Amino acid sequence: MTEEKKPEERKKRKTATEAASKIGPIVKATIGGTVRAREEGKPIAYSFICCCYDEIIRTMDIVPVWTENYAGVCGAKRDAQRFLERAEAENFSRSLCTYALCGLGFDAWREELGEMPPESPWGGQARPDMMLGSGQILCDPRNKWFQAAQRYMPDVPVYDVGLPWPPYEDDYDYREVQGYYVKYIVEELKGLVQFLEKHTGRKMDWDRLSELVDLADRTWNLIWETYELRRAVPTPMGTGDAMNTMVPIVFMMGTQEAYDFFKELNDELKHKIANKEGVIPDEKYRLIWGGGLPSWFALTDFNYFNSKGAVFPVETTYRMVEAIYNFDIDLSKITDPLEHIAWRWVKFWTYWYDRAKKRPGSHPDVERLIQYIEDYKIDGIVMHEAFSCRSWHVGLIWQLNLLKKVYRDIPSLILESDIVDISSYNEADTKARIDAFIDTLEAVKSKGR
Amino acid sequence: MSQYFAGIDLGSTMTKAVIMNQTVLASVIGPTGPEHRKLANQVMEEALVKANLPFADITYVVATGYGRINVPFADKQITEISCHARGVSYLLPEARTVIDIGGQDSKGIKLKDGRAVDFVMNDKCAAGTGRFLEVTAEGLGVKLEDMGKLSLTAKNAVRISNTCTVFATQEVVAKLAEGAPLPDIIAGLHEAIAARVYSMVGRLKIEREVALTGGGAKNIGLVKALETRLGYPVLVPPEPLLTGAIGAALLGKDIVREAVEKGEALLRSERRLTEATFFT
Repeated sequence: MTEEKKPEERKKRKTATEAASKIGPIVKATIGGTVRAREEGKPIAYSFICCCYDEIIRTMDIVPVWTENYAGVCGAKRDAQRFLERAEAENFSRSLCTYALCGLGFDAWREELGEMPPESPWGGQARPDMMLGSGQILCDPRNKWFQAAQRYMPDVPVYDVGLPWPPYEDDYDYREVQGYYVKYIVEELKGLVQFLEKHTGRKMDWDRLSELVDLADRTWNLIWETYELRRAVPTPMGTGDAMNTMVPIVFMMGTQEAYDFFKELNDELKHKIANKEGVIPDEKYRLIWGGGLPSWFALTDFNYFNSKGAVFPVETTYRMVEAIYNFDIDLSKITDPLEHIAWRWVKFWTYWYDRAKKRPGSHPDVERLIQYIEDYKIDGIVMHEAFSCRSWHVGLIWQLNLLKKVYRDIPSLILESDIVDISSYNEADTKARIDAFIDTLEAVKSKGR
Repeated sequence: MSQYFAGIDLGSTMTKAVIMNQTVLASVIGPTGPEHRKLANQVMEEALVKANLPFADITYVVATGYGRINVPFADKQITEISCHARGVSYLLPEARTVIDIGGQDSKGIKLKDGRAVDFVMNDKCAAGTGRFLEVTAEGLGVKLEDMGKLSLTAKNAVRISNTCTVFATQEVVAKLAEGAPLPDIIAGLHEAIAARVYSMVGRLKIEREVALTGGGAKNIGLVKALETRLGYPVLVPPEPLLTGAIGAALLGKDIVREAVEKGEALLRSERRLTEATFFT
């Protein structure tokens, strides 16, 4: 019986920064807070990261339950298998997104019991009053997950926000059509506000929303500036830590706490740089985490890289911000908060388009990698193919091949596993691959000496 | 005084040891099966007997393969990617790509100036490895070593659609029941492995010349199937199981030379042939 399975013991990852070490307790407290909020009768919404509605729900004091985050926590605690198995027993295919499977398995179990499943990680995932889908071009579970969850919670309404952006083509200027996308997103967000007002009985405070939108803009800029500090040699912070510091970026946006967190991290990194304190004392290889969500149950692999002299000053994963002041429009002049959010969204996703057009055969995602490789003095690229996440991972090998074609050959490593499903992971094989990759890095570096 | 270098490659199914000075003086290949895997010391001992050398005369010992960290008498452990690269570059200097089909994994290595600069590995699934052939051979009641020659008489290779080894075994048994000739089925199996390996190594942008190593290189049917996929012949070293061990010995030689040039002391393990420590 799945109910009787106990989680495996988990190894704790060493962090390089004080700030990153605070994230675990923050997430634990947040999840515990959602369970208390439920008891106190506060409105709770299942939510997705990178959703465009962070500031909207914060303004209306709706408590978000980040379902992807909870699945990641179950994975990190090596306690997701029983929920995955439960979802499979409910006839969901094991090849679906394992975030969704974990969440659906959890929901099915909680709804059957009428209480949290036994020994739920960090108190469990609170039952929502509403579920807010957030469909993107790439990720289908963001549309379908919560609709499927209604099978267990038919009384909980779903609102699905569509969030498209202009596709990249090298023979047209996306600016010709960007206005249509903004209008569409604004209409979607207006619909969301109406939905939230109806189901909470609260009215949107548009002035407060504008304040939080401005706060989010400032937080974006601060995050970008903070991460740019990691260009330093030795780098003061690696991707392992960034898999912690993603929490304020994607789960706390539009809050003062997110801004304050990055202010503290910014100060800490500057201090480390001034004292030449790196992630490791003897930095030999600088790597980019060039794509793929991490295996939450195997974050200690970053420590293994470190033990071989390798650090990750930069990653594309979860770096879901650009500096607002680098956009080609002045967002401060867009005073309508919903329109402001929509423009920020479109400008984020089209940020690398112009650069890509300048290099024949290139692509925005590849241009981003090239820029980071140059800015952060990168020796090699590591990607993770998580089998269950088709949307974010299907193009990784293609990106890598294109990078080598339009830019230059660079040592690369593809790790294969999953985000949550530990049965896809083999520690010995992963370490064997990392060892071999370090050899190739050394071979390439020694040739250049 | 002559210097001697030993390389030992603890693979998943076979343990290989070589002793070299200017050339290979002795080599031994023994099974790594469950009851043998602790006995890497015995394989090394056999190699020493063949070379007529006491262990104390070995200047440097490098271990490689998946079991490399468990060899207590090795002076250094080096990954099989580096060792295969070095070994193939020594044996076949014209090679630019290595395809190694081992017992439990397969890998591709891109070579530049005799060193590995990129690689891919398949270690998640038996498809594309020697294990695939082992299991299906058992299902067909054919000896593994006969598979290659048998497949050369095929008239019309059967298409094997399952990549899962277990289901592929069921599939070949079903094909046999349908009356498909044995050589056609075996040729189909070789094509299936070749397709799997080709698509994996394709990530490296395969460059000629291609060297084929590992147990898979001893199967003439698989060699032909890969050549058909590639569209040109592959190079196979005289003993394709030994490239990793030869590379290990050569890398040991490189380490010693470099240390001498720099005037550095060499860290060496005690010259005592003790058992590998898999199950402690």
